[in-house]
Amino acid sequence: MAKKKRKVEAMQEINMKPAMNLILILIPLLLTSMEAVKIAVINVATPQIGPSSEAAPPDQRPEDRPLKLTIALTNRGITVFARDQVVENENDPLGPTIPKIEGQEMDAEGNMQNAMVYDLAKLTEMLSDFKDANPAEENIIITAEPNIKFRYIVEIMDSSRDMRDGERTKRLFPNVVLSAGVA
Amino acid sequence: MTEEKKNYELIPENYEEEMLKRRKASKIKGRDTKSEDVNMNSLMDILTIMLVFLLKSYATDPINITPSSDLELVRSTSLLQPAATVTVTVSKSAIVVDNKPVLVVKDGKVEASQKRGGEDGFFIIPLNRELVNAAESKRRLASVNPSVTFDGVCTIVMDGDTPYRLLTEIMYTAGQAEFNNFKFATISQES
Repeated sequence: MAKKKRKVEAMQEINMKPAMNLILILIPLLLTSMEAVKIAVINVATPQIGPSSEAAPPDQRPEDRPLKLTIALTNRGITVFARDQVVENENDPLGPTIPKIEGQEMDAEGNMQNAMVYDLAKLTEMLSDFKDANPAEENIIITAEPNIKFRYIVEIMDSSRDMRDGERTKRLFPNVVLSAGVA
Repeated sequence: MTEEKKNYELIPENYEEEMLKRRKASKIKGRDTKSEDVNMNSLMDILTIMLVFLLKSYATDPINITPSSDLELVRSTSLLQPAATVTVTVSKSAIVVDNKPVLVVKDGKVEASQKRGGEDGFFIIPLNRELVNAAESKRRLASVNPSVTFDGVCTIVMDGDTPYRLLTEIMYTAGQAEFNNFKFATISQES
């Protein structure tokens, strides 16, 4: 009887201290090396070498030409090209298609400040109309002036990828091709 | 009878109270001396689950980015998952290919002497050299391991303030090293 009792006692006394030490060291180590942010990627392609669009017959009607939707970012706003033609702004035929509007922007210190920002809502609306007219088209060419910051390019890519209308998400032009800067 | 009376008188008035106190004290003392071990089982369970979770999340991240003031990633609504590819990191101060520093960036520009064609050139010589090496090692790996293929995809981790000019230079240089498809790493907004 006494023997049995001793055996049971010996079973209970597993020394967990080394295992606990190991775990307590590993957890802070992994927590510090773990990334706190979730990373997502945007797929982008460079222009492919292929037959030029100039090879199209000259007597082709403008409506039959490939859409070749192009967004050019400048310091003044967004200029949209479709079928090699500028989509004109009715109020300012010489200016960008969608001029910058007054809004708020985060500065280097992380404070919100009044600044001229790109009118992304209007761009999404315009692209949605293009998508309705050309449902099969998925490509969009984005280009920008040399000094335009990368964050604005990503904003434009986000606005041209899909349109969120409440619960519904409308797919616009997810295939982005970045081309060389605006001359 | 007289003796009994004597004994009775010897018992103090607060005898019962005293005994109660003593009994209580002995009880507390008894509990102390017993000293049960703290049950660590539940704590061990929590820590083990946490450890497994952390190890799993650590192993599944193909790219590991630590944002800093030098490398502020842009937020995006994209939901695509990153893949294990050659990574070009462009911070405010340097260009790094697969954790190997390649050249210095100053005010969003690469020094003209590092480019073919000087100031107006697009071809960044040290970056191209490094990317050609990376492509070569990937191709060599693909030749011995059928599960690896060289698909010409390159992940670009870029600071939000980088000008478009530097981006086009990097994309052109990578294109010359047969990297034609790019993945821009962003912070997922999931809005």
